[in-house]
Amino acid sequence: MTTPATAATAAGIAGEPAAYELRSTLLAARGVSLSLGGAPILRGVDLEVRDVVRPGVCTGQVVALLGPSGVGKTTLFRVLAGLQRPDAGTVLIGNPGVPVERGMVGVVAQNYPLFAHRSVLGNLVVAGRRAGQSRAAARERALEMLRRFDLIDRAGLYPAQLSGGQRQRVAIAQQFMCSEHFLLLDEPFSGLDPIAVEKVAAMLVEVANLDELNTIIVVTHDIAAALEVADTVWLLGRDRDAAGAPIPGARIQGTYDLMACGLAWHQGIACSPRLLEMAAEIRSRFGKL
Amino acid sequence: MGILVTFQAVVALAIWWMSPLRLLPRPDEVARAFRTLWMQEGLGRELWASFSTNLEALGIAMAISLALSYLTVLPFFRPIAAAVSKGRFLAFIGFPLLFTLMFANPHWIKVALLVLAMTVFFVTSMASVILEIPRERLEHARTLRMGEWRVVGEVVVLGTADRALEVTRQNAAIGWMMLTMVEGFYRGEGGVGALLLNQNKHFLLAGVFAIQLTILTVGLLQDYGLGVLGRTLFPWAGLTVERR
Repeated sequence: MTTPATAATAAGIAGEPAAYELRSTLLAARGVSLSLGGAPILRGVDLEVRDVVRPGVCTGQVVALLGPSGVGKTTLFRVLAGLQRPDAGTVLIGNPGVPVERGMVGVVAQNYPLFAHRSVLGNLVVAGRRAGQSRAAARERALEMLRRFDLIDRAGLYPAQLSGGQRQRVAIAQQFMCSEHFLLLDEPFSGLDPIAVEKVAAMLVEVANLDELNTIIVVTHDIAAALEVADTVWLLGRDRDAAGAPIPGARIQGTYDLMACGLAWHQGIACSPRLLEMAAEIRSRFGKL
Repeated sequence: MGILVTFQAVVALAIWWMSPLRLLPRPDEVARAFRTLWMQEGLGRELWASFSTNLEALGIAMAISLALSYLTVLPFFRPIAAAVSKGRFLAFIGFPLLFTLMFANPHWIKVALLVLAMTVFFVTSMASVILEIPRERLEHARTLRMGEWRVVGEVVVLGTADRALEVTRQNAAIGWMMLTMVEGFYRGEGGVGALLLNQNKHFLLAGVFAIQLTILTVGLLQDYGLGVLGRTLFPWAGLTVERR
């Protein structure tokens, strides 16, 4: 299953592709189409996430799904999470791929939902119990997660007592208690100031890199943040007819491989001329999606 | 807040004491009537009879209403809950005869009337609480591999437990309001309602005030007790509320 891909020499310098290879497929959508109320929302969406392996570095996958507001990002998000069945096509998870069911992919919605009636620790334990762990094992793993996410001193608090950032981390930790390696985040940068965006981006990369198989898909319309955090960017949008009118039903209009361009895994990449160029290109395409 | 309430209560009492309106019994007259009612007419015993009847009816109404409200997660039960809710518009006075024919025991007739009165309001409030649960909260539970019944248990039952207690608290108050009327229909069973009607019948306004104030005090204590219970059982419920 090993597929050698772009390989290069030095890592850590923006602009020079780091050595990596793409291995097995971790998540794939094949010909996904969906209509809601008779209106086509998704039309033949094909996408794939493959295991990125870098020598000597534990690297997870971070993919950004970009698209203008109202194009169908959240619908595709729900399909990838197994919360909505497509009219046609399939979403496969893992290797060998099995059709996605809800609960196989962790989902962190925009407002970071948690059980308000359970403490932070309780929220994680209940997720662990649903994943089949014993109460003691779930509690132990939950405490380990809280330590890892720097939330151990918040274990006894209720979600209403947390800040937005803490709530987001608890929501992510809760999903990892249950769904192992896959995590979908809907608009994690929405409403955040630039410093907070950087912090969230750094946290997502850190979470992704906790395990080789960790795969994070970020659904967003924030181009700069998406390029900051992702190793691959998918552009979701609608085709246009000869007269320039949008054809109902979105599909992947383009894939930007930041790894091959040497723009992935570098700190302070946001100011790189190549990244800014890429951001400008994506921005120019946004209006036509 | 405590100081404000005390101040307002003292002002109200002062206005009452100094009121030139001779129609109203004065506080000392009410106090004497209370003493007579308590010592000679068994107000304490009647109060207990009413309290236990109200509690019994509240327990039954709560069980029926919560079960029906939770079942509204299934489309089959939604029209039933909606029909029960519409019972709020029915004239209460039309039911005593029907229940008299259905139940031989006057106590059960009273309980049935109270259960009916409370259930229609309880179901209305609770079904509304459940229908207002946003889809994202249900989907959040589903993403954690919860089956549909587990989602109901976690999000609908546990997630709204604080609201259920609040609705119970409101219905306990409705129970007291209805109870005195129901006890008036079946005076042989006693209760504060029967005692109140006797005072009314003999134009003993001081006695009427004494009973009303007694019911108000018991009601407020019951309300306070349920509030304390709520804050103890569901400490998370008030965290997002500014004014408690």
